[in-house]
Amino acid sequence: MLTNADLLALHGTPGNFTATVNLRPRYIDADACTACGLCTQYCPRHHVDPYNEGLAITRPIHIDYAQAVPATYYIDPSSCLFLQHGTCQICVPVCQSHAINFNQKAEERTLHVGAVILSPGFGKIDPATLARFSYGKHPDVVTAFEFERMTTASGPFQGEIKCFSDGRHPKRIAFLQCVGSRDIGCDNGYCSSVCCMYAIKEALVTKEHDPEVDITIYYMDIRTQGKDFDAARDRAEAIGIKFVRARVADVTPWQNRLQLTYATLDGQHKFEPFDLVVLSVGLESPKDARRIADITKVDLNRYDFCATDSFNPLQTSQPGIVVAGAFQGPKDIPESVTQSSAAASLAAAAMKSARGKGVEVISYPDEQKVGAGEEPRIGVFVCHCGINISSVVDVAQVARYAGDMENVSYFTENLYSCSQDAQEVIKKKIKEHNLNRVVIAACSPRTHEPLFQETLRDAGLNRNLFEMVNIRDQCSWVHAGEPELATLKSRDLVRMAVCKARHIQPLPEQTVPVTPKALVIGAGVAGMTAALNLADQGFDSVLIEKGDSIGGNLRHLHHTLAGEAVQAHLQDLVAKVGASKHIELVCNAELAQTSGFIGNFSSVIVSGKGPDKVEQTVDHGVIIVATGGREHRPDKYLLGKSKKVLTQQELEKQLAGKAKNRAPGSVLMIQCAGSRGDDLQYCSKVCCNHALKNILKIKELNPQAQIIVLYRDMRAYGFAEDAYLQARKMGVVFIPYELDRKPEVTEKGAKVQVRFFDSIMQEEVVMSPDLVALSVGIVPDDTDTLSKLLKLPVTANSFFLEAHVKLRPVEMAVSGVYVCGLAHGPKPVDETIVQAQAAAAKAAIPLVKGYVKVDPIVSSVEQDKCIGCGLCVSLCPYGAIVMHKVDGKRKAETISASCKACGICAAHCPTFAISMGGFTNEQINSQIEAFGDRAQTVKA
Amino acid sequence: MGKAIHQREGAVMILGGGIAGIQAALDLTELGFYVYLVEKSPAVGGVMAQLDKTFPTNDCAL
Amino acid sequence: MSDQQFNPKILGFLCNWCCYAAADAAGISRFQYPPSMRTVRVMCTGRIDPAFVLRGLAEGADGIFSGG
Repeated sequence: MLTNADLLALHGTPGNFTATVNLRPRYIDADACTACGLCTQYCPRHHVDPYNEGLAITRPIHIDYAQAVPATYYIDPSSCLFLQHGTCQICVPVCQSHAINFNQKAEERTLHVGAVILSPGFGKIDPATLARFSYGKHPDVVTAFEFERMTTASGPFQGEIKCFSDGRHPKRIAFLQCVGSRDIGCDNGYCSSVCCMYAIKEALVTKEHDPEVDITIYYMDIRTQGKDFDAARDRAEAIGIKFVRARVADVTPWQNRLQLTYATLDGQHKFEPFDLVVLSVGLESPKDARRIADITKVDLNRYDFCATDSFNPLQTSQPGIVVAGAFQGPKDIPESVTQSSAAASLAAAAMKSARGKGVEVISYPDEQKVGAGEEPRIGVFVCHCGINISSVVDVAQVARYAGDMENVSYFTENLYSCSQDAQEVIKKKIKEHNLNRVVIAACSPRTHEPLFQETLRDAGLNRNLFEMVNIRDQCSWVHAGEPELATLKSRDLVRMAVCKARHIQPLPEQTVPVTPKALVIGAGVAGMTAALNLADQGFDSVLIEKGDSIGGNLRHLHHTLAGEAVQAHLQDLVAKVGASKHIELVCNAELAQTSGFIGNFSSVIVSGKGPDKVEQTVDHGVIIVATGGREHRPDKYLLGKSKKVLTQQELEKQLAGKAKNRAPGSVLMIQCAGSRGDDLQYCSKVCCNHALKNILKIKELNPQAQIIVLYRDMRAYGFAEDAYLQARKMGVVFIPYELDRKPEVTEKGAKVQVRFFDSIMQEEVVMSPDLVALSVGIVPDDTDTLSKLLKLPVTANSFFLEAHVKLRPVEMAVSGVYVCGLAHGPKPVDETIVQAQAAAAKAAIPLVKGYVKVDPIVSSVEQDKCIGCGLCVSLCPYGAIVMHKVDGKRKAETISASCKACGICAAHCPTFAISMGGFTNEQINSQIEAFGDRAQTVKA
Repeated sequence: MGKAIHQREGAVMILGGGIAGIQAALDLTELGFYVYLVEKSPAVGGVMAQLDKTFPTNDCAL
Repeated sequence: MSDQQFNPKILGFLCNWCCYAAADAAGISRFQYPPSMRTVRVMCTGRIDPAFVLRGLAEGADGIFSGG
């Protein structure tokens, strides 16, 4: 990890790049800094805090936030008195670990790498663009980024929202959408794709703080097209957040408030006062986009984002260099996370031959055997953490107290338990005193347990013979004013830990071997891309397809919005799948049964029809679910009843045909036909762009064609906004409709008639277009069967539910199963391809390792005590417990590799047959008893 | 991520240590490659570290 | 400890992933709260057997805190 670093140059070819990186000094030795924060308290100079969007003051020597990685302070040279004026240096003697070093110099480093991933993020809109909304002129106009810090409980105002002008709590707050996006005035024609979501989120959070506050969101289109995003918008509306379709012209300070001027759709001009105005600023290309492009020679698009195409969404114009995240186009967190996993799989495939060569293998000494009957010899180490603990807690007293306890063979104090030399001391003392349990009272096990467990392993002890006591984060830091009570609390916590430690047992490090093969279900673009990527990484897959040919929905598409030919790409994919020696394709096939767990699945696949039906069993390590989706066909608007009513997909087919009059003279399109609160509750994300694509095609074939689009929100997110603008420039008329006034389609002789309310002219209109095109949405193909077969959760809308919507977007709750494509949710082809590559990256991880490591704190069932009631099986959220017959009796058994150690099973087992490694009943009970301190804990 | 050795086979450079860069780095190390994560600011995390909650579930972002 | 003021003895079961993490975060932000709780870390509040709660009360706890 190279922080404070700039890329200076990049040369070479794929597999053999040379990068020059400049490391700016942080003036603090990262290895020595303990992040105690003393230096910041002593530093006399003020520094505007960019982490808090300039809303707070910090010091030149600081850390951005407590959880920062690396957890090392740094000195901002722009405001440090010594670095600017050669004076001060007060921090140098203050630092107890002598970490401050003003002699650090910038260092240039040359890196040899095989591939490069560009993920520089995004830039911020120029304040000049914001000035017309009085930003910078009036303190109560803030950006949404600033507002985010204002609402944050850990932010500079502890989440209390106040007007900067006079400190009053705002009663009326306005959000202005599309500031610096969809705005050709500042040359940002694109939609930033995230602002609608963050505005709704911030509005919801604000309402939570103060239900009385009145919030209005001024928007052009609410683009909550992501999976289940519309539901949040509905929630916002339900709790009283107002949505007004209007572009606000300007914001004028008026008395002590801000006056908004805007015009509504029906042509009325309105003025409204607000206390606080939040600008939903867009995402720009990164500030240094041009510099990165100069150094790496990748092409940028017209908005200075990295240029890519729909079928290779992450490949830059330079081989060996891929892009991920907002630099590829504005996007939200799950899209970014998906792209980065996909970028990782592309880099991994490109460098297959070098895999594993750059990584060091760590070896440990043989583990010393600690038998169950062996008397515990506990070592207790109590940490000062500099003065973080010892300034409040009487560390010496706590250590002595521990030393008086039964089974404690050794006790001491450490200045910094986490320091390198302290690890050596701990190892030495373990050997010297023949310790078989270690208790460390210091900071949080959440951050430091792994470090100390490594030390134990180094000393030849099983890493589970360890217990940590948190006397810093949960004691000295939060009871600073009550040193005596804090010391008492530390003693109690140490006592509880020592009592638990008496009962801890070594737990075996379990690993389970992995069958290096994937089962990919569904051979549409998602399944094919995933299987091909795995093949590129050197892994075999069995690709099964329900139908008799592969290609999925791509077979019905002809060109993309950007104009790329779909069929050529599809043929290319099909040919590659056919030619790959790593892919075994089985058509007309369905999964009949799967057993096993991550690394060791065994599936029965049934293929063929009637008498040719064949069953085969496949052993595989992972499963990629790419079962896809299809066009929803609503029984509405005369679809299927009139030849003049087509879906967008049917229209696309007609337009790609050869008929002379294939582009009709007048077309009326109805968006959200059957979606968003109709047959389907959700937005299908692709239909608006599908409509725009067909519109541009019709206009290309027949420039005279008249086109009217009835819509609710045009969701031409990202760079598709350009197409929306182009369509409007060509004279296509877009008219919004409301749910309570849906258009009606009737048959009048040979013609179709559409009746709708024109919200712009405020009147009822009747038309007879040559053609009505319906944007109908997407439904998943049967997810029910597979969901039952593999125990996979689905959403209320029957799409598969990922393990974590932000951070684990392609993994499922069941280990070893990954999802991509339309089975996960509606999405366009480029996003499907990225998701498939990401699923391949995640699936490849266990295949590369060859084994699955099982955290030893998992549950285990004592078969003798198990009565086979099956309660645990029904309760386990991860499908990690199975029932099987032992000597004719039903018994539960944990699949360690799938267990997440939550312990629900153990808490509910009526016969106490289930035990959790590291958290046994015996251990927790001894902790509780030690809490009461009625047990004889202290040496006689 | 260990100490940097200048000559290292099977290394990938990731420019930018926001959520995208971090995720790519984690996946690549798991896939058996050495990663240089090059970040211009003093800490990795990017913009996501500044966020309080995330849409639509309002989960904590940190 | 003063006799006038009630200083409860509270036993807390904190989930490693959320409440225990939140308690750490409170420390990082230096929020101050009364030192009356003693915590038992569990990997999930699902681990909490009702028997643990009863045992805690029997051991003299004035209250049981379960955070997850």
